Amino acid sequence: MTRIRLCAVMLAALLATLTALEAAAGPPTDQLKGAIDRVVKIVEDPSLKGDDRVADRRAAVRKIADEIFDFNEIARRALARHWQPLTDKQRAEFVSLFSDLLERSYMSKIELYGGEKIQYVGERVDGEIATVATRIVTKNGTEVPIDYRLLKKGDRWLVYDVNIEGVSLVSNYRTQFNKIIQTASFEDLIQKLRAKQVELTADDQSKGTKVTPVKK
Amino acid sequence: MRRSVLDLSVGLFLIIGLLAVGWLSVKLGRVDLLGGRGYVVSADFPTVGGLKAGSPVEIAGVQIGSVDAINLVDDQARVVMSIRSGIKLQDDSIASIKTKGLIGEKYIRISPGGSDRSIPPNGRIKEVEPPVDLEELLSKYVFGKV
Repeated sequence: MTRIRLCAVMLAALLATLTALEAAAGPPTDQLKGAIDRVVKIVEDPSLKGDDRVADRRAAVRKIADEIFDFNEIARRALARHWQPLTDKQRAEFVSLFSDLLERSYMSKIELYGGEKIQYVGERVDGEIATVATRIVTKNGTEVPIDYRLLKKGDRWLVYDVNIEGVSLVSNYRTQFNKIIQTASFEDLIQKLRAKQVELTADDQSKGTKVTPVKK
Repeated sequence: MRRSVLDLSVGLFLIIGLLAVGWLSVKLGRVDLLGGRGYVVSADFPTVGGLKAGSPVEIAGVQIGSVDAINLVDDQARVVMSIRSGIKLQDDSIASIKTKGLIGEKYIRISPGGSDRSIPPNGRIKEVEPPVDLEELLSKYVFGKV
């Protein structure tokens, strides 16, 4: 009898720890981790390595980014009160330019990835909003805290802000965009984004041409 | 009769003096006797650095309120601040703890959002930025490289 009771207690304890573990890493962390793992896999994939595969690699990473990031929400929050008066066409153009800028500027950083450890240190869910705290540990032991803010859309959690060392991406762009729109205009901002896009494209292309002669 | 007029004026003078001292101490000590005008919102920060009760809350450099209290809730700092009535905070507003100058006092800067929903009285600002710890950053990126 006592043995059965002991077994029951142990089983209950086991179940409790299992559910506790599940509660600690909920769906926001799972979905984010899934996406990050896939990106790491692409960056480390030997068949996608090398500068001549840049386009394929970036397309693959971009596809995952589109799945986990809510670029519409990021753009809306970054423009803040300047978002409301825009027409649908202007909004669409801005979102596409801004997401392209974001992807291009962070893509080169992602490609520097060289086996740094990514730790998932915590998760806070507050209604429709979740914060997933991660930490990147570099080889010389420096820890860079990166917090992702996610918004629930249906059963999916989408990233709408990234907080690196306490500095928010949305806040950073909100300040810059606000300054540009107040001193110039929204058209000016679009023009600046376009110029930046051309500049980054030229950078990519010069990298490509620099590498091809070496390969031959 | 003469005497009583003199007594009365001395008494009046004393009362006026006491009232003035009271008014001065309330003003200088920034004591809100009637709970202040405006409404209260809170925000949870991972750390508040040197922020204190009484620190200003600003939008675009204009003071729109002040910090009432800072408490520890769930290992986070919950900052309770009172905001002047008539100032609307959108629910995607970001509250950041900033430093005036390089080593000045800390204050809360709110960058207004664009959402059409605003934060109700006793609501919470969900988007926050903790203060950037310059010393920690320095030690990380300057001394951290081996």
